[in-house]
Amino acid sequence: MSDSSADAQDPQSSSKLSRRWFLRGAGGVAAGSAFAGGLAQQAEAARARSLAAAPEVLEGDIEFELSINGQRMKLRCEPRTTLLNALRNHCEPPLTGTKQVCDRGNCGACTVHVDGRPANACLMLAVDLRGREVRTIEGLGAPGALNPLQESFWKHDAQMCGFCTPGFVMSIQACLEKQPNASLEQIKRACSGNICRCGTYPAVFEAALAVAKGGAR
Amino acid sequence: MSTQDKPKKKKVKVTRNENGHPVEVEIEVDDVDGPSWGPRAGHTLVNHDVPRVDGPVKVSGRAPYPHDIRLPGMLHARVLCARIPAGSVRLDLESARKTPGVEVVLDLEVKEIRWLGQPVAAVAATTPEKAADGLRALAAQFQAAGFAVTPEQALAPNAPQVTRRGNKGKESENGDAEAVKAALAAAAGTARAEYSLPVQHHASLETHGVVVDYSGGDEARIYASTQSTFGISEDAAEPLGLKASQIETISEYMGGGFGAKFGLGIEGLIACRLAKLAKRPVHLLLTRKDEFLAAGNRSGSRVVMEGGIAADGKLTALRAEIERHGGIGGGSHARQPYVYSVEKVHTKSYPVHTNTDGSRAMRAPGHPQASFAIESLIDELCYAANLDLLEVRKKNLANPTYARQLERVAREIGWYEHPHRTQPGRMDQRECIGIGFGVSTWGGGGGESCEVDVRIERDGSVTSSVGTQDLGTGTRTYVASIVAEEFGLGMDGVTARIGSSRLGNANASGGSTTVASLAPAVKNAAWKARMKFAEHLAPLLGTQKELLRFEKGELVDQQSGKRIPFAKACAMLPNEGLQARGTWVADLAGNGIQGAQAAKVRVDPLTGRVEVLKMVCVQNCGLPINRLTLRSQIFGGMVQALSYALLEERIMEPSLGLQINPNFEDYKLAGSLEIGEIVAIIDDEDTREQAIGVSEATIVPGHSAIANAVANACGARVRHLPLTPDKVLAALGKV
Ligand code: FES
Ligand code: FES
Repeated sequence: MSDSSADAQDPQSSSKLSRRWFLRGAGGVAAGSAFAGGLAQQAEAARARSLAAAPEVLEGDIEFELSINGQRMKLRCEPRTTLLNALRNHCEPPLTGTKQVCDRGNCGACTVHVDGRPANACLMLAVDLRGREVRTIEGLGAPGALNPLQESFWKHDAQMCGFCTPGFVMSIQACLEKQPNASLEQIKRACSGNICRCGTYPAVFEAALAVAKGGAR
Repeated sequence: MSTQDKPKKKKVKVTRNENGHPVEVEIEVDDVDGPSWGPRAGHTLVNHDVPRVDGPVKVSGRAPYPHDIRLPGMLHARVLCARIPAGSVRLDLESARKTPGVEVVLDLEVKEIRWLGQPVAAVAATTPEKAADGLRALAAQFQAAGFAVTPEQALAPNAPQVTRRGNKGKESENGDAEAVKAALAAAAGTARAEYSLPVQHHASLETHGVVVDYSGGDEARIYASTQSTFGISEDAAEPLGLKASQIETISEYMGGGFGAKFGLGIEGLIACRLAKLAKRPVHLLLTRKDEFLAAGNRSGSRVVMEGGIAADGKLTALRAEIERHGGIGGGSHARQPYVYSVEKVHTKSYPVHTNTDGSRAMRAPGHPQASFAIESLIDELCYAANLDLLEVRKKNLANPTYARQLERVAREIGWYEHPHRTQPGRMDQRECIGIGFGVSTWGGGGGESCEVDVRIERDGSVTSSVGTQDLGTGTRTYVASIVAEEFGLGMDGVTARIGSSRLGNANASGGSTTVASLAPAVKNAAWKARMKFAEHLAPLLGTQKELLRFEKGELVDQQSGKRIPFAKACAMLPNEGLQARGTWVADLAGNGIQGAQAAKVRVDPLTGRVEVLKMVCVQNCGLPINRLTLRSQIFGGMVQALSYALLEERIMEPSLGLQINPNFEDYKLAGSLEIGEIVAIIDDEDTREQAIGVSEATIVPGHSAIANAVANACGARVRHLPLTPDKVLAALGKV
């Protein structure tokens, strides 16, 4: 028997969950402009949640429902499963548009929206998102019905290998939903937690600005 | 620079019906003797901005990369990589086998660990979490032996032996030491310095790996994140116990390679063995940490250079002693003085081995290392002799293309208005702004290897197929666009199929050889299909085949002036449609490209922080096959060089023998906030009507230009990249 499912069996797992929440804030938002207010607020909210609820002990494979892209999804997985692994390995059909690149909040390739805010799916436990609204790249648009930002990424060639692209789209989409006329500076900040090894940044900025300007007029 | 003869055209006499009277007229038609790219101005898709055909699936998360393959019953595998650089390991295989969810455990039976990160075992389990449990259950006990993880350790007296060939490898020597000595003594200005570059990681966002779809039986499919679709099945045959022909390799999408993804690799071999044992599909993609430790790198270097310059700016002497840091591999370093002409040269080059992962090819192997040393030394010589940095470069570059390109980047970056052209600025200025230059070269030629099939159906659908892979360079797009242009269609008129070893052969994508090998074969297939098409239809239309043209979605008979929609014309094809196979045509490919880059930086002398304000690149490459994806390639090279200049460095801890930064938290890559204005200019003065690969050349000089710009701004000469603030301050004598 291995000792490694300790995460799930630890009676203090709820405090671990709250630490995960803190990390989510650090990874998904700290790099952006919301640094000053956002992080502290999120940590506070997470603490409040974990204090309010009685500790919940979860182990083994558990079944639960998540709301993903506006649809109820039934999942069956271990409580230690991150949202990222849950999307990719436990959804039917698998939602693999959200990429796994660093698995520790350093690259933004796994960016999704949770209740409309960008977040790193590798830093959250799936089970902790019950009752929240998760949106992935698949929920934004599809080939033949791309959303305006996706369309602009395509036309400006803001993707080469394309492995980072869903993450960039999600980060910038979240920014544009808040700030439809975002400036170059705001766009750079919005995707400062994303990395692109192929070096598409100049085209990413052009693509995003084209949409931002479009929204302005 | 040979320019291919003008596109082949010929005149034919035809009879035309004008106002009811037959008149004899002479018209110009494409030569039917073979394909040519045609006149620059005549293109409808080639040499235009064509959004890539797989853009929509990529931006919507629908592109199935190997990481994304999900199969019924598929297991997830994890590899145990050595946590010591040398020694041995003991494993508790039984515990691992008993771990819930673990289906197979593979002991690689490594007797002697020779490098940090060397794979020693692997497990496959029902979920990645359970596979990680399995690895922990192996409870690996490593017994360390003596090791060297830094070149200093490897060269120390009594250092443990890293390879049987010794820690210092075979030395190669070129040139005349005595002549260089004399030339140095006679020089108007001299400089001597040591330049070094750290080991850089490829850091592809998709890690190395494969999904092996094998459940017993005599057929398998391998989904590979690879630069060589045709380099996998062969290697997988033995571990799967199959014939190579029974294995299909699929590489439809892949998340970056940069030179590190050729062949099945140890991770692929492990995946095959696991699948064979489990009789279930296995998904094995390295974790990010394992990718850092065990998936290759660009070798580091340490170069001692001494150069001499005459009063007129001619480079007269160069001595270079080059150490290559390629771990257990050989490392690479291009010949000095790189592309410059220096009268007397003497060089020595040798590898220094350490117990670390072997270097692999990385975008322009050896060139960025050579570029950094020579471009830095040239600026140091200019300052020593009080000469203009740009003029000295122009004077010492034999190929006239460089002078022209350098002038263009100089204008674009604001050189002629810049105050520090012969001496660096001083750090007490209010704003420390500097400019630096660098140049690059690459071959980018191709060869015979690709087999492209163009198929046209009676319903008007056109398919262009070849087994090649698209690394993000836009290969898939030109497999379609060249054919679409040939038939006067839009991009929606042709479907490209790539990424399978069951399709026509294609070469590996390395050394920027893809476009020059493949584009001519696509063109040839398209041309052959067009000839066949015309041959079939001419008699049916009562005209000559030479007079049939395809343009704007129509088939035009130049004799009668009659126009038939393309789909309708296709309906006149025989039942089985039409097929043509194209192979390489030497005339359609070229070789040898040049580029120049300039960087403008702001240095804060109080904090040592460097900000890259602007980078400019002028790059030639013969005929641009797709200007949009070409500009992206240039951006990519410049951004990677910027990242190398400012941030990237593998850091080894010498006493523990560990890599301190095997993750993106501590191994930094440039992000959006580092990116200033990036200007990519396609050098349209290169009029060669030939396809030539461009990727490598674009990464070569950017970091050199940035380092030179930092020194130019305020005299902070940093000779060891990356240009971190501490080094800038040290160079200014502030720490
Ligand atoms: S995979 Fe989540 S941030 Fe990198
Ligand atoms: S497009 Fe390849 S990593 Fe961004």
